[in-house]
Amino acid sequence: MQGNTACAEGALAAGCRFFGGYPITPSTEVAEHMALKLPKTGGVFIQMEDEIASIAAVIGASWTGVRAMTATSGPGFSLMMENLGFAVITETPCVVVNIQRGGPSTGQPTMAAQGDMLQCRFGSHGDYSVIALSPASVQEMYDLTAEAFNLSDRFRVPVFVMADEIIGHMREKLVVPDTVPRQERKLLKKGDLPFRAGDDLVPGFPTFGKGYSVHVTGLTHDERGYPCATSPSVHEDLVNRLVDKVESARDAISSADIVNPDARVVFISYGAPSRAVQQVLHDTSRDDIGHLRLKLVWPFAESLLSRFPDAETFIVPELNLGQMAREIQRHTDRTVIPVPKLGGALHNPSDLAGLLEEVA
Amino acid sequence: MTYADWFREDRLPHIYCVGCGNGTVINCTLSAVDQMGWEKEETVFVSGIGCSSRAPGYIVTDSLHTTHGRAIAFATGIKMANPDLRVIVFTGDGDLAAIGGNHFIHACRRNIDLTVVCMNNMIYGMTGGQGSPTTPPGALSTTTPYGSGEAAFDLCGLAAAAGANYVARYTSYHVKELTRAVRGGLENPGFSFIEALVQCPTNYGRRNKFRQVMDQIEYFKSHALLVQKADRMREEGKKIPDDMIIIGILARRNRPALGVRK
Amino acid sequence: MRLVIDERRCKGCNLCTLVCPYRIFRPGTTANRRGVIVPELDRPERCANCRLQRLYGRTLCGVCQMICPDQAISWEEEGACEPVKVAIEY
Ligand SMILES: Cc1ncc(C[n+]2csc(CCOP(=O)(O)OP(=O)(O)O)c2C)c(N)n1
Ligand code: SF4
Ligand code: SF4
Ligand code: SF4
Ligand SMILES: [Mg+2]
Repeated sequence: MQGNTACAEGALAAGCRFFGGYPITPSTEVAEHMALKLPKTGGVFIQMEDEIASIAAVIGASWTGVRAMTATSGPGFSLMMENLGFAVITETPCVVVNIQRGGPSTGQPTMAAQGDMLQCRFGSHGDYSVIALSPASVQEMYDLTAEAFNLSDRFRVPVFVMADEIIGHMREKLVVPDTVPRQERKLLKKGDLPFRAGDDLVPGFPTFGKGYSVHVTGLTHDERGYPCATSPSVHEDLVNRLVDKVESARDAISSADIVNPDARVVFISYGAPSRAVQQVLHDTSRDDIGHLRLKLVWPFAESLLSRFPDAETFIVPELNLGQMAREIQRHTDRTVIPVPKLGGALHNPSDLAGLLEEVA
Repeated sequence: MTYADWFREDRLPHIYCVGCGNGTVINCTLSAVDQMGWEKEETVFVSGIGCSSRAPGYIVTDSLHTTHGRAIAFATGIKMANPDLRVIVFTGDGDLAAIGGNHFIHACRRNIDLTVVCMNNMIYGMTGGQGSPTTPPGALSTTTPYGSGEAAFDLCGLAAAAGANYVARYTSYHVKELTRAVRGGLENPGFSFIEALVQCPTNYGRRNKFRQVMDQIEYFKSHALLVQKADRMREEGKKIPDDMIIIGILARRNRPALGVRK
Repeated sequence: MRLVIDERRCKGCNLCTLVCPYRIFRPGTTANRRGVIVPELDRPERCANCRLQRLYGRTLCGVCQMICPDQAISWEEEGACEPVKVAIEY
């Protein structure tokens, strides 16, 4: 099965019942598969007039209590930024799949890239935090998309599935599990203030149409949900909570594969370049080379680095100019070697092996 | 229940300036909703950004105050995901026709079952009085200090041409008619568009020879021309002066609609 | 029923003075504590709604209430008439 199709199937298995999207290479197959399947599950597929409208419709649908998603690539992702900030401040669960292609601008529509890793984290204005997953196989397109809905409902944040053209268009065997784990959105208790959170920092969700009479606004709001745009403390408290609810769960939700934790040299990868690293490890069959493969990229859990206590060097191959390498370097005084790659092709395993010779 | 029961009492008085027409349009809309006998629980108000778009915050139902221009797109998601909800959009002329113009015409084309009430004050009120797509030629604003040199949109003409099932225009002077027109929109399946011309004394009136709030209301009163009468005048070959405001139900039809409650 | 203007809401725009067929609202003359010049009521018992709402079981006319942008106009129940002793001086 194709990666993009697996992504759509994973969403359906997770109970996604709304898809709003706009065609863009190399993500279109996700929309096409949803258009085919959603009506048969009692869900809704709608092709909107652009990506701004797509994410808007997804957020609107989410307020009626359904699991909702969209899928896009670079140019469309850029258009979504303002409304993603709206989803953050209104704490609206939604899943956004980005099958990354070469940018900036129209760039390389049919070629793989990982150039939007910082955009998904910081692309909308203001301070906030989100969750991003990065699948490295067709199976993970299925599994991680399904998991994205759980995380999104649990934390009430947009969750990104940051795939790339290679994984999206790759064909591999998919093992469809009988069921996927499902964690439901916690609902607001009647009588509670709609934007007051407990210890987990995530308030219960006041689904539209259930008599909560909730006012939801993109303005800074108090715990009643009422606009309060000039009080410094209300703003500070709100933004801090929005960030903390995700960041404080960093370790709890971190998800990665760890190979050879005693190694002195460790590859760190996510998405398609993981395949090249796996090839290197396979070819060299050295057990002093480690591999940290991130499945959950944002929030980056620096505790993962200490799982390699003897590591002296981290090598980070990415299909960009070192976006996550910069984040990793921020958290360690050990050597971080970015291996940037542009143009659409994957790192050549023999090049990575060559680099290994140089450092170890 | 009366219209007054739909207000979020603890948020009144609202932020609108003295004599702002938006408050009147909220009254008329809520009165129409109340006449429909709808439950608060099943009714959702959605808006974008602008003075007009603050309206849902004063109404005690579920409401979504979204981003500038995008209200109709958000409302589309709500309505498609749960057609049992009654979804009403408040918007302004800038919100609807400038930044949100594309969503507007596509919602008309889809004929999705929403009622959109546009408070057209012919200006960007919230940002301090810049020209909007409905600022009349020659009118003054902070960005048209020598008089607007562009043509203005006919919002109702746009909605009708794009396929909306129901289109009406009144002003904040015509409270009874406006209430009836909104009610017509709520009753009619498919996309209903109601344009309410409103006075913005602070940012439009003041710059355009309406010194008092009442002056612009008097203008609406004296320059309104019922569509039937306008049609008759045209048939008789009479010229309708450019500054007349054609009011009335301008389109009502039954094209197939999307998202209608089953 | 008795016609009242809620002074906490009225912003003094005088739109009500424009629409009442009986000219019950008159522009006020003095500012209240909030600095708003609230309209004065001239023989409000003439208001159609005051007289007939009971009889018809719905709001009649009500144009002033609809146009008031600040939701300041409403009707109150009048308490039952208390007998009052009136000393008549000749
Ligand atoms: C993307 C974006 N651009 C610009 C603004 C600034 N802005 C806020 S309200 C507004 C104009 C509103 O005009 P209109 O829709 O006519 O509403 P009114 O205030 O007149 O009722 C603008 C440009 C914004 N909030 N978001
Ligand atoms: S600026 Fe204009 S539109 Fe905005 S509240 Fe004031 S009068 Fe109304
Ligand atoms: S209800 Fe009609 S008659 Fe009564 S005060 Fe208002 S406008 Fe005048
Ligand atoms: S219309 Fe309302 S706000 Fe304006 S003067 Fe009359 S009572 Fe006051
Ligand atoms: Mg305006």
